[in-house]
Amino acid sequence: MRNLLNFLLKYNNLIVFLILEGLALFLLTSGNNYHNSRVVKGIQGITRGIDEKINNARTYLYLREINSNLAAENSALRNSLERIAREENLKFNNVNDTLFRQQYQYTSARVINNSVNNQKNYFTLDKGRRQGIKVDMAVTSGNDVAGVVVGCSENFSVAISLLNLDFRLSARIKSNGYFGSLSWDGRNYRHAVLNEIPQHITVNIGDTIETTSYSAVFPEGVLIGIVSDLKKSGSDFYKITIELFTDFKKLQYVNIIGNMKRTEQLELENQI
Amino acid sequence: MINSILRFSVIIILLILLQILVLNNIQFGGFINPYGYIMIVLLLPSVTPAWLVLVISFVTGLIIDLFSGSPGMHASATLLAGFSRPFVLRLISPRDGYESGSDLSMAAYGFRWFFIYASIIVLIHHTTLFFLEVFRFTDFFRTILRILLSSIFTVGFILLIEYYRKGR
Repeated sequence: MRNLLNFLLKYNNLIVFLILEGLALFLLTSGNNYHNSRVVKGIQGITRGIDEKINNARTYLYLREINSNLAAENSALRNSLERIAREENLKFNNVNDTLFRQQYQYTSARVINNSVNNQKNYFTLDKGRRQGIKVDMAVTSGNDVAGVVVGCSENFSVAISLLNLDFRLSARIKSNGYFGSLSWDGRNYRHAVLNEIPQHITVNIGDTIETTSYSAVFPEGVLIGIVSDLKKSGSDFYKITIELFTDFKKLQYVNIIGNMKRTEQLELENQI
Repeated sequence: MINSILRFSVIIILLILLQILVLNNIQFGGFINPYGYIMIVLLLPSVTPAWLVLVISFVTGLIIDLFSGSPGMHASATLLAGFSRPFVLRLISPRDGYESGSDLSMAAYGFRWFFIYASIIVLIHHTTLFFLEVFRFTDFFRTILRILLSSIFTVGFILLIEYYRKGR
């Protein structure tokens, strides 16, 4: 007994260290649900108030740019509205059924916490379950890909950023329709990598990359970026570097896109 | 005694706020992020019992974790830095040893000593932190590069603050 006490006294610092380090590593690894803890953070709001204050200050600095973006988007929307109205009139189609052709539902949200300098980046949005946000909804900035919602609390949600080593997205080259898998290599927050494009295809620097609708998350044709570098690797595939349209460093206002027919599509695909 | 406890509480709170409000938002090229809060571990007086250093560094790390949404990452890195602190201090101790009355600061022990001290602790902290973050050994040398670059910025930041404290 005395030996044990002596031992404990002699190595008490090492023991305190090992206990605390064990606790920290347990926290780090408990469940791979890294993002879940961020959702918990959103619900409990320990740090929410301060996060929002920091963000308010930052939002103010970007107001001018946001204004001009909104104006541009407004005019684009007005144009398409005009076109749709004219088509409707031509067909004498007056059925007022909201589900008739609407497949995607758009909600705007503000980014209240964001990072670009980690290897696994997430950002927090100020809308949650109560505003109709669900897990697996797409997040775009303007018409450019930003991320996918991975967790929701009542009033906040957390999205996995495109700038995350775990992020995968089905993307295609707009000009010829060949698709591959888009991911981030953790190097530069302005660039992502497109894999699985076979080498017999002509790809040019400057080609536009957009989403496919295969994942049932993003609508078809949401823009991602342009090809900025092209390498033939040893395998049969290109290594294509893409310059992203979205500047994640000034991500402020985003659209959350819900696919209203997603469950239907997944159910059907699972039956087979 | 009470006086110095108060003083260090203020220093700790100030450094944590500085990290959360300012440094967490500095992202040079999306690559370099200074973690100046590690200065808390550096500055604690040499008479602080080792277990208290461990507890303080653990709690500091946890608070930073809360704000950057990375449970346990900063806590374990800061804890390791706090644990290695006595060994580093013994390794680079000046010839006359440490005076119990003076702070572990640049003003008391000079630039060279403080620079070495800060660099070693920061390197230990950043190495743990960045490897825990990626949690894989692919791209090993890129992680090393990130560690070195961020360490340079953090040490630079710490030296700036020390110069300011010294000048006052």
